[in-house]
Amino acid sequence: MLVVEMRYRELVEKIPRPMYVKLSEKLLDALLEAKDGGNVPSSLAKTVLYYAQREQLSSVAGITNLLNALALADPEKATEILEEFGLEDARIALSTAE
Amino acid sequence: MKSFGIEFVPMELFWRTTYYTIQAERLGYDSIWITDHFNNRNVYVSLAVIANYTDRIRLGPGVTNPYLVHPVMTAQCVSSLNEVAPGRVICGIGAGDKTTLEMVGVEMRNPLRTVREAVEVIRRQIAREKGVYAGKRFTTSAGARLNFKVNQPIPIYIGAQGPKMLALAGAIGDGTLVNASHPDDIGRAVKLIKRGAEKAGRRIDEVDIAAYTSFSVAEKEKSARKPVIPVVAYIVAGSPPPILEKHGIPVEKADKIRGDLANRNWGEAFGAVDQDMIDAFTVCGNPDQCTEKIATLFKTGISHFVTGSPLGPNVRGSINLFGEEVLPHFKEIS
Repeated sequence: MLVVEMRYRELVEKIPRPMYVKLSEKLLDALLEAKDGGNVPSSLAKTVLYYAQREQLSSVAGITNLLNALALADPEKATEILEEFGLEDARIALSTAE
Repeated sequence: MKSFGIEFVPMELFWRTTYYTIQAERLGYDSIWITDHFNNRNVYVSLAVIANYTDRIRLGPGVTNPYLVHPVMTAQCVSSLNEVAPGRVICGIGAGDKTTLEMVGVEMRNPLRTVREAVEVIRRQIAREKGVYAGKRFTTSAGARLNFKVNQPIPIYIGAQGPKMLALAGAIGDGTLVNASHPDDIGRAVKLIKRGAEKAGRRIDEVDIAAYTSFSVAEKEKSARKPVIPVVAYIVAGSPPPILEKHGIPVEKADKIRGDLANRNWGEAFGAVDQDMIDAFTVCGNPDQCTEKIATLFKTGISHFVTGSPLGPNVRGSINLFGEEVLPHFKEIS
């Protein structure tokens, strides 16, 4: 889990910072609507809530956890969002992380 | 002072409901109400999780019932929750839903007495009163006490719809959750609550009167209407003729919807829901329309407005919309 999280973090760090707020919003919306939300382990869900409570979902750590969670709840949507943001490198890295 | 609450039915994963409550707290809501149905996620587990991720907002069951949950257990649950969220706990209790109770073979006998005694038992338990309680529906022995202290008050809100229950809520409730959405219905309810309070020698401002509405908001009215249609179909189907007539809804139309629901003809049933029905039983529309409707409701004498589930076509979007475009008309957000 930690290794996966580190890979997501590296991936997020490649994303230009001005995109963080919009990207986190998109990831969050998708996560809240994902049909396989039950795939998100309780510990990861709690981490997402931790960052939500502190209004830090658009931080590197916040996006890392959102992306990690969405990749479990709806991998196709996670890929689609990265593509939508023109993050082709990140998308490829995500498929490797999976 | 005007307060705003939000209701959630815990059908969603715990973390999703919890996220929405974090969002609601940030946007200035004052209370969270979690419904208590045996077929959904447990209300107190939901509340305990929510309590851990919120800091200010008040929270409680909305509503539990004394037929399925003995009042000593309700007292234990809300008192325990108070340890996790000190001073933030509220307790909604009502007679429950007859149909749901019948599903598990429980008869809703003497709801007025049952709710009254349940409230008495809960208060005694929270206060750790000594002595026997000998009601007709509930009895507790002198030794039936909580083993821990509750240091903050836990206001009890009575869920009510009928005239007698509304009067009881006025007489004994710290608050009441009025199960209605139309200003005429809520206005009538406020008068009954007031009468109940006066009869009991209380002032009306001792009772926090909440309109517990079926609510939906979206950027466009049409989108807001969609999520409430199934709810309205069930309300229309379950309403007695005098209520339907009061709102100008033909009884035959309601009979048809009831029949279609019973036969699981969802398309027919939901398709028969019209604008008059939506207006009668919900607060629904775009932010401006909702603001206007809520302002009208506050004029009836309520002090608290609850956005009951469904909230809109997209829960997160509708909470944001409500918090950013409706709430600021009524209160300053810190």
